[in-house]
Amino acid sequence: MKRKGKILRIFPKDTNTDEIIAGKYKYDELDLEKLAVHTFESIDPLFYADASKTKNPLIVGATNFGCGSSREQAPQVLKTCGISCVIAESFARIFYRNCFNIGLPVIECKDMTKKVAQGDEIVVDFELGIIHNITKKEEYDFKPIPKFMQELLEAGGLMPYLRLHGGYRD
Amino acid sequence: MYKTMAEKILSDKRGADVSTGDTVIVPVDFVFSHDGTMPLAIRQMESGLSTRKVYDPYKVAGVCDHASPSPSEKASNVHIFMRKFAKENKMPYFFENGDGICHQIVVEKFAAPWNIIIGGDSHTCTHGALGAFATGMGSTDIAAIMAYGKTWLRVPESFKIEVTGTLPKHVCSKDVILHTIGEITADGATYMSMEFLGDGVDAMSVESRLTMSNMAIEAGAVTGLCQTDSKVRAFLESHKRGQEYRTLAPDKNATYADEIVVEVEGMEPMIAYPHRVDNVAPVTQFEGVDVDQVCIGSCTNGRMEDIRIAAQILNGKKVAENTRLVVYPASRDILIRAMDEGLIKTLAEAGAAICPPGCGFCIGRTVALGDGEVALSTQNRNFKGRMGNDNAEIYLCSPATAAVSAITGKITDPRDGLRW
Repeated sequence: MKRKGKILRIFPKDTNTDEIIAGKYKYDELDLEKLAVHTFESIDPLFYADASKTKNPLIVGATNFGCGSSREQAPQVLKTCGISCVIAESFARIFYRNCFNIGLPVIECKDMTKKVAQGDEIVVDFELGIIHNITKKEEYDFKPIPKFMQELLEAGGLMPYLRLHGGYRD
Repeated sequence: MYKTMAEKILSDKRGADVSTGDTVIVPVDFVFSHDGTMPLAIRQMESGLSTRKVYDPYKVAGVCDHASPSPSEKASNVHIFMRKFAKENKMPYFFENGDGICHQIVVEKFAAPWNIIIGGDSHTCTHGALGAFATGMGSTDIAAIMAYGKTWLRVPESFKIEVTGTLPKHVCSKDVILHTIGEITADGATYMSMEFLGDGVDAMSVESRLTMSNMAIEAGAVTGLCQTDSKVRAFLESHKRGQEYRTLAPDKNATYADEIVVEVEGMEPMIAYPHRVDNVAPVTQFEGVDVDQVCIGSCTNGRMEDIRIAAQILNGKKVAENTRLVVYPASRDILIRAMDEGLIKTLAEAGAAICPPGCGFCIGRTVALGDGEVALSTQNRNFKGRMGNDNAEIYLCSPATAAVSAITGKITDPRDGLRW
């Protein structure tokens, strides 16, 4: 599996799920298309419009990306905005798990925010565990994805995985 | 092999020794979600698994607490969607607007030592104070558990938090956990089990321990466990569940990935200033900051002892003219007991707005701040926009600091009784 795209934004450490999608919207709105309009609204009002204009947008985060609430709407709105992969230096665990569950690939790469710049074109090669930075002509290794999570990603998320296996395989 | 509390519970559930780093499939004793997460979980069951049937209606709960009582047509329609699902499945445990916050309801009615409890809310780690491996997950995981009764977990490393000493007057367990998070930071315990041990924890009430476990997620932890003891037994007995008590303690030589000693003797009241939970400083550093709204309640500090200390401080006093005070008891049970003890009358006479049990101010859904306003709250998160307004500031503190500051209208150290 490969993901090719352009780095749309680089977010600071501890970017939280309230910032990704504010609680004030998620209790009212079940339609993800409508909810996605408010993605990153409080810290980056142009995010949704810019994501809509970009072909294959990817986002990069520093450490502890996605901390806070368990709201799955956070990865869901990112996916709805067309984000094909999130690369962070580290992830908060509920967010990390939620991404695999909904089939949004996320990877952890040390010092990522120092290596890349907004606008860089990159290709993520999941088999080789390498990020190719086409703009800078560089390569970075990333932390291997845990085995079970790899299986989830290959199946396309938790629901397709469970359908495929008829439940959890003990 | 010597085990931490997390390793013990997960080994027990697997019926075999498990250790850190193992990925295990485990049965779930109880699963719940609320109006912010359950609707999406139901949708995932429908679309992902082509079913709306829960595996065991007695082990699944739904709670209307986040937008409760419903402030909008849309939120009301979300509640209708949840109610229909609960009714179809003949779920006896569906909790309505005003019944309380999901975590407090689960603490009172369901959580027990050695359980695995999964909730569609990050603060599910609360139940670790009763010796349950409890953690929050997203709606897709909740959907899978509602359908199959199982989930997968990676056996976590553990972070030992050794609390020693006796808390000074008007210094609370909230101050201890704020201090701890300030020390280890917002990702200091990422995917670890925080295990709260030591004579300082033994001396705390179960309610005080719940406050600490509740905030384990604010350091990134998967759960926040406490040993069980006679206090946990008495707590369960008081909720007519004494037979569910089991002793839980780590092995003496258990391996911890990290540890910290928190000396509480002489500890100062703490505050987390905007917009991060690990922005922690002594209250004295922020004394005098004007406060527009003081909030007492939430799954962190909306229990009996919190309301008692607030009423004790506010007894015969008035909320300052420039300030509003809102009080949300965490559950219907607590509201009734606080009424029986006369605490609600005391708080109402002091000028508090007494609100129906629920999440209320904490997520800004039914009570929101105005532009430029400052809130001082006993809740667990102060992220930008958390209380419904991106242009507001939130400080986190203990119920004692909150109550005293409501009287002065400014952030105030609760230890100095002469000033309030």
